[in-house]
Amino acid sequence: MDPLEAIRGTFFQECEEQLAELESGLLAMENGDTDPETINAVFRAVHSIKGGAGAFSLEALIRFAHVFETAMDEMRSGRLAPNDEVLKTLLRAADVLADLVRAARDGDTADEAHSAAIVEELKALGPDGASEEAESEEDWGDFNFQPLAAVTLEAPAAAGGWQVRFKPRADLYAKANESALLLREMTRLGDVAVELDASELPDLEALDPEASYLAWTVTVIGDADETAIREVFEFVDGDCELEITPVGAEGDGSAPPPLGDLDISALLAELQEAPPPAAPEITPELEAESAAPKPSRAAPPPAEAAAADPAAQHRKPEAGATIRVDLERVDRLIDLVGELVINQAMLSQRVMEAGFARASGVAMGLDELEQLTREIQDSVMAIRAQPVKSVFQRMPRLVREVAAMTGKPVRLVTEGEGTEVDKTVIERLADPLTHMIRNAIDHGLESPEKRAEAGKPAEGQVRLAAAHRSGRIVIEVADDGGGINRERVKQIAVDKGLIAADAPMSDEEIDNLIFMPGFSTASEVSDISGRGVGMDVVRRSIQALGGRIAITSRPGKGSTFTMSLPLTLAVLDGMVVSVEGQTLVTPITAIIETLQPKAADVNSLGGHARVIAIRDSYVPLIDVGMALGYRTEPLPATQGVALLIEGEGGQRAALLVDAIQGQRQVVIKSLEANYRQVPGVAAATILGDGRVALILDIDTIVAVSRGADSLRAEKRLAGTG
Amino acid sequence: MTQTNATAGALRELISFRIGAQEFCVDIMDVREIRGWTAATALPQSPSFVRGVINLRGAVLPIVDLAARLGFDSSETSDRAVIIVAQIGEQVVGLLVDAVSDILSVTDDVIQPTPDVASDTAKTFVRGLIAMDGRMISLIGLERVLPDAELEAA
Repeated sequence: MDPLEAIRGTFFQECEEQLAELESGLLAMENGDTDPETINAVFRAVHSIKGGAGAFSLEALIRFAHVFETAMDEMRSGRLAPNDEVLKTLLRAADVLADLVRAARDGDTADEAHSAAIVEELKALGPDGASEEAESEEDWGDFNFQPLAAVTLEAPAAAGGWQVRFKPRADLYAKANESALLLREMTRLGDVAVELDASELPDLEALDPEASYLAWTVTVIGDADETAIREVFEFVDGDCELEITPVGAEGDGSAPPPLGDLDISALLAELQEAPPPAAPEITPELEAESAAPKPSRAAPPPAEAAAADPAAQHRKPEAGATIRVDLERVDRLIDLVGELVINQAMLSQRVMEAGFARASGVAMGLDELEQLTREIQDSVMAIRAQPVKSVFQRMPRLVREVAAMTGKPVRLVTEGEGTEVDKTVIERLADPLTHMIRNAIDHGLESPEKRAEAGKPAEGQVRLAAAHRSGRIVIEVADDGGGINRERVKQIAVDKGLIAADAPMSDEEIDNLIFMPGFSTASEVSDISGRGVGMDVVRRSIQALGGRIAITSRPGKGSTFTMSLPLTLAVLDGMVVSVEGQTLVTPITAIIETLQPKAADVNSLGGHARVIAIRDSYVPLIDVGMALGYRTEPLPATQGVALLIEGEGGQRAALLVDAIQGQRQVVIKSLEANYRQVPGVAAATILGDGRVALILDIDTIVAVSRGADSLRAEKRLAGTG
Repeated sequence: MTQTNATAGALRELISFRIGAQEFCVDIMDVREIRGWTAATALPQSPSFVRGVINLRGAVLPIVDLAARLGFDSSETSDRAVIIVAQIGEQVVGLLVDAVSDILSVTDDVIQPTPDVASDTAKTFVRGLIAMDGRMISLIGLERVLPDAELEAA
């Protein structure tokens, strides 16, 4: 890949992280978090996006980020109170920023008019036009040192203040920071006197252009506190020596030093021409000049410095703690570890067969090996795991948009964002969750008037929660709306011919009607969720992930959708069964119950077609051995075990197998990688004895068995092919 | 890969193996490894020449009975039978043969074109013939060894 493209790719990945940070910060503020650190985090996020965008000349993004940053800066400096109105604007701005980032990434153009409107709103929040002008000079492109005028050269009046000794290390420049900007930033804090210490500057021959030789002493007179000063240096924390000493507290000694005839303007102008690497052109003449007024350097009180340090460290975001790895490498590692587990199991079996005692050194060593391999397997699986936060984070924006469209005020509460699950599961969760949250707001929540009548707060609540439960992840989407209107649901199902009008149904069964294909409760087709796709689509996508979905609803109190999903798509909970000497795996999620067929319950419909009676209803009994062509004569039903299963479309069938071996978690292996798809087989796995077992594709088996022996017809075709 | 389009005189190495009384060979560059026979898990809805799948260090490897594929009688699989693990394009496939006999170093001009015969199997798989010590060794091309899904569906 083109290296620039790779960097660009990294930039957009980082943008996504910054946007996530930005949104969670703003949401925390909306929930009453007034910690200055939160505001800083938001500011930093916008600032970083702007900085990166600058490197790639993404003009639209830079312009918008700049206005956003200005507004955040106002808030950071306390001139803008983070009230509800302001935060709503900022949240919308965050949405626009996200759009702009994505547009820049995909080379599209974002909605100009919308972003322009937000820009106006942001500008209204920001300082007046004049200072906005000054702000824009922060663009490094045509950096201009105008604000120097603010530097007071005469000794300031005796007032409270600080003396800051600032000595950048070479790292500071290497990270593309600029001392001059930091010094300029100081001028915002009050009356400032800056003094250069170039005493360490070597002769030209000895000068390393990438080293840092200059130091400055800045005297700030004003009521700025130490935190404000530290914030100026926040981004270079650790890359410079910084001593902050109160002035005045020490009486006379630390009064601002006489500035003499040091020409700061000239010096700074020089700096400007020769940016970062320590201004090598600085002439001996200048050195002589600056050598004159030795800054009065008061040693910082050690206690204070120590106290300030942890705070500074706390502020610094933890960087470099993650690496990006190609998914393919991780998957290869997972494959190998899976193989290691199988090999270890085989080795144990051989050792036992060889007659070693359980207490022998060999057997004990093997036990330890087994524990280690399990641990390795868990750790490797954990590499692919990610917190659901990444998908939960997309929801607040969705809620805002749907709330605006429906005119229902909604509050989204999220819980368990840190719950981890496989990356592929997360990626495929976004669509069903989006759909369910839309539904919860559009259909679940009542209008504000109705809520008032019911004595509920006007603002509806949608709760999105994740938790680990017995080796699976459980995600709940709950609303505090009116609950399911069972009368209406049943009526619609009858009208649409989905159920018989006189069918006796429990409340639970009625609630579950909404999952039926072709069911939609919205009486009017709305823009938001009435697009002809209903909860059946949600259910199908959850089932495709090996999950299940259920609903509980209480009239007047609201509804809760509960999804239970596997933690990874790489493993599957399976029921291991044998059929005609072959070992097969059935996904447990599809199995409702297992039963021993009684001769009286099984009826023939002619040919090989049989049905089995299960609590007053007849379901087709499918002989798996016949369906897969392992045998030509059906197994007498009483000699086998039936698995009652439910397919994707909700249809039920009973699969007849010879015996059940047990329940096991199996690693899913692709058949297609080296062969091709096989009808009736979803994938393969490798069992503890090292042999390959096939995982049944229940839906195909059921579908094919319905469509009159067509799997066998296919087989004939395959045989002649 | 197995096309005999290299300049005459260029040396290439071939692995020769036996199926019944016949000798065949494939380009050594297509062969990943050779391993002993292990029982395969049968695949439903598969042509008779696909013996099933085995576990090759965590990957699921289909086993093609080369005798059946080439239209010979599929004999009893003895313990001495071996699986030649071959790379065919993106896929890795195991070829069940009776025994691996030799590694041959030949120049391209030794490989004679396949004479025109009526057999479709010959046209599909045999890329050329090598006469060596009075024996005939057929050079096999592997591209069509796996069942062709599109062809079957048609």
